[in-house]
Amino acid sequence: MAIDIYKINPEFRDIMPQEIIDLEENATWAQNQKKPRGIKELPDTKELLEEHSLCAGCPEAAALRYVLAALPKPEETIIVNSTGCTSLMFPHIALHTVHSLFGNQNAVASGIKRSLAWRFPDKVKDVVVLAGDGATVDIGLDYTLQSFFRQEKITTICFDNEVYANTGGQESGMTPKGQVFKMAPEGKKFEKVKMWELATTSGCHYSINMTASAPKAVAKAVREAILIARDIGPTYLNIYTPCILEIGLSANEGLGEMKDQDKDRFASYKYVSDEAAAHLIKCKEEGLL
Amino acid sequence: MYYIAKVDADMCAEYKCNTCTLYCPEANTLMFDKERNTSYVDVDRCKGCELCVYVCTDMLSRNCVSMLTPHELKEEQALAAQK
Repeated sequence: MAIDIYKINPEFRDIMPQEIIDLEENATWAQNQKKPRGIKELPDTKELLEEHSLCAGCPEAAALRYVLAALPKPEETIIVNSTGCTSLMFPHIALHTVHSLFGNQNAVASGIKRSLAWRFPDKVKDVVVLAGDGATVDIGLDYTLQSFFRQEKITTICFDNEVYANTGGQESGMTPKGQVFKMAPEGKKFEKVKMWELATTSGCHYSINMTASAPKAVAKAVREAILIARDIGPTYLNIYTPCILEIGLSANEGLGEMKDQDKDRFASYKYVSDEAAAHLIKCKEEGLL
Repeated sequence: MYYIAKVDADMCAEYKCNTCTLYCPEANTLMFDKERNTSYVDVDRCKGCELCVYVCTDMLSRNCVSMLTPHELKEEQALAAQK
């Protein structure tokens, strides 16, 4: 995919919606920029996300804004997603996205990455998996871990809301012990899966556990993870984006909840392999970070 | 009845901060005007979650953002136009 597909045919320019024109004129594509992309451009440029259908105040939507703003090269990025609240946003994104079967996202992404490497050997193509905790850790755990074992060069981002939110609140592997939901009235009986540690032991070169309470930190992590996945191997980000509806908070309380969990269940965890750390230093020297 | 965020441009311009624009979960809704040094709201896109009020009032103690009904917003705009 090239940036050319966003160029509007001059003959049709007068009937195009303003949002499409903005996308051509005012969006931050890596090709048009000297400096790396980042959240600093969010306040005054067109975003790659457009009028999504998530609830008012949903932290997941904010996190997606940071992820999209931090992609090093959006015009050459393909996002693979899975069923869940995140999949409601993907029809509103100006990038190529692939919707996989529930849980299959890492297997699908592996195939896409390999075929792109074969089809475009001289181009950089990033494949990013973006799915919820149900798809990544519960139903799709097998596929996620197998892609780490195989050292597939893809970035896996898990939006961890600790529950199957859009089907009414069933417990998932990521739900903390004792938590009660509408469709899990007895409370969870065992501990939350520490997926970020599993990712480290399964061969990921970069594994992070964080909340989406600090936009800059999320953007930095996404950028580093994608750059490492390009050349070294699999990377994993676990980002806490609480479902304010299921845990019973008002629309404006999501950010406070994330800030509270910064010190508790989502205390910062970061693993970078030696190889990846050396690569990051190299990227910094080249001006990619 | 629903609410829409409104940024007090004069108060906001004193701080030159764009923190609320980063935390808003909606895309291209709270934007920053570099010439006037203030944030502003795209009224048609705002879902009224009040997160910007939380950021400006609770996090930063600046009180530049308030929530209005569409009716109140229209009245205020009419008043401003008269001036």
